[in-house]
Amino acid sequence: MNKVYKSITSLFGAALTCMLVASCSSDPDSSGVEYMPDMYRSPAIEPYVDYGELRGRVHADVARSQSALTPPAFTIPYYGTDSKEVELMLPYQRKATIAFAKTHGLYADDLLITEDPEVEYRAAAEDKNPIALTPANSEALFSSGKTIYSSKCAHCHGEKGDGEGPMVKSGAYSGAANFGALAIADGQMFYSIYYGKGMMGSHRSLLNKKEIWTVIHYIKKLQNPNYGSDAAETVAADSTTVK
Amino acid sequence: MIRKFTNWCVVAVTVMLTAASFDVYSQGETLFKNKCSTCHQIFKDGTGPKLYNVREKWASEGAKEGSIYAWVNNWQKAAATDPYAEQVSKIKPTSMNQFPDLTKEDIDAIFNYVDAQQDPATKVAEGPGGSTDVTVEQESGNTWLWIVAGLIFVTIILTLGGVRRQLSQAVAEKEGGNVNDYPSYGAEVRQWMWKNKIYVGITGLVVTLALLIMGIQALGNINVMEAYQPSQPIDFPHSVHAGINGIDCKYCHNSADKSRTAGIPTVNVCMNCHKQISGNTPEQEAKIKKIYEAAGWDGSEYTGKTKPLVWNKVHVLPDHVYFSHQQHVVVGGVDCKQCHGDMTKQQQTARIVPVEELNKIEGNIPLTKPTLTMGWCIECHSEKGITDGPLSDKKSGYYDEIHRRLMNNDRTLYDKYLKDGKVTVRELGGWECAKCHY
Repeated sequence: MNKVYKSITSLFGAALTCMLVASCSSDPDSSGVEYMPDMYRSPAIEPYVDYGELRGRVHADVARSQSALTPPAFTIPYYGTDSKEVELMLPYQRKATIAFAKTHGLYADDLLITEDPEVEYRAAAEDKNPIALTPANSEALFSSGKTIYSSKCAHCHGEKGDGEGPMVKSGAYSGAANFGALAIADGQMFYSIYYGKGMMGSHRSLLNKKEIWTVIHYIKKLQNPNYGSDAAETVAADSTTVK
Repeated sequence: MIRKFTNWCVVAVTVMLTAASFDVYSQGETLFKNKCSTCHQIFKDGTGPKLYNVREKWASEGAKEGSIYAWVNNWQKAAATDPYAEQVSKIKPTSMNQFPDLTKEDIDAIFNYVDAQQDPATKVAEGPGGSTDVTVEQESGNTWLWIVAGLIFVTIILTLGGVRRQLSQAVAEKEGGNVNDYPSYGAEVRQWMWKNKIYVGITGLVVTLALLIMGIQALGNINVMEAYQPSQPIDFPHSVHAGINGIDCKYCHNSADKSRTAGIPTVNVCMNCHKQISGNTPEQEAKIKKIYEAAGWDGSEYTGKTKPLVWNKVHVLPDHVYFSHQQHVVVGGVDCKQCHGDMTKQQQTARIVPVEELNKIEGNIPLTKPTLTMGWCIECHSEKGITDGPLSDKKSGYYDEIHRRLMNNDRTLYDKYLKDGKVTVRELGGWECAKCHY
């Protein structure tokens, strides 16, 4: 009897040791011990946090099933109460044609059913840039346009707009448009950025309408260094008016 | 003499011809890049079909003579006259641009340039777009080996000891002695300990102290998430994207300058490039295939059957901390790498970069507390001068007002500012509890 008892104790001891050792190796997906786990997965929903497990209890119905989504269709960003800004943020009046579903994956859009996939693109040539370039705002417009351009466009289209960005130079990507050889209207530029064109995907989830029109001013400046230069001279004389 | 002259002529003509052919070649390249390459790739179908050997293809598949040139000039006209061209017009949903100003020579120059290229797929897949995967570290595997070896060792010692004891017991029994006289294991150990009580005492003290210190240190590691690197649905190498291909961080982490969170890119952002890039090596292809599944891209068109990707969050802050990327990136002018390390060299998935590595980054204030702990935030807030960011260029009215108030209301701070010429985040209230906890 004594021997049986002893062997049970030793077995139990061995099991305990194994468990202790096993607890040292950590799950790579666990970030470690937290002071207050409920503060990490709180009732207030935080972005990208998984609420599928709270204090050791699994809640399959609220487990995270996706990370990031594009903005819902027909929503507009809140952009203050200035009526001019709000107007700029209203949904784009031109639709993508039905061909964009297959070529650019815009299945959720209100697509224009037409034989001619480019009908809206051609019509967009009439659209004018709603952000007017004036002597007072040209410098600020170009500088914010440059900021947008260098983070959202330059890696393919190149800092100078020559279609030779680092992506193209490294050989990973080919066919970024050279703006120097691109003669399209502002409205068509907008349509291309908003819905995508050819190989380029839709950039409306990355840039809002105001940002797209701003970067179009900058692209026009890249195409023609004199674009808005009359305005720039006036600004240079009166540099204090910059926002 | 005449012979020499002819020789000269031959050389001169050859040189001129070569130059001319080079000229035609480079003309073809320029034309291809400006007119065709946005839609046509040489070896892969894109928005338009691949262009390699397309003249031979048309000729061999029964197109009319010269119909391809008419196609480039005006594809609708060509499709109306040539049944083959009409068939081609149905390959892709998008219609081709018209190029009425391209002459037959121009078009031939383009095709000559295209046909002279070498398919990168036949070369060994390597180079900028190539794989830069690194072998997985073996450290954790080694620790396990040691633990297992130790356990085996201990078991052997115990077993041998048991065998020895049983043998001696058997011997004692045989010799007629009382089995129970033989001391038990525990008694034996107690006897030995009593004999060497000084050593045992000192060792015990040392072990207890060591355990205590280790325990306290372990408590200090609670909530320290340095080097935390959760698995991701796709083994995403930042080094290829931000490093080799020079994509700005804010292209994918689009809301870093607009929102609290920097943002995880939606799959349509991946597809802006990966619609064309399907990978050079089998590993890359396997990874990129997951993007295609998520985006519903079957290799030539979108199917509309999308599947969500679930990325694991790396930098997690508790709910009682308010942190805004926008405030740090836009107002503070903090560069991404100052807190996230140099991601252009991060070949594996993202992780929380330990403070020792962050300290090596140029322009960073050396900090001592672990990354993403409150001490780390506080340390930086007390050192970081707000005027050495881009704020001074932006002439932010908010900070001008704070400067003015500092000068008027708080003379001690103002005197300090005159001495060191710097206003730290702390002096502007960066150490106020309610700045981050509310």
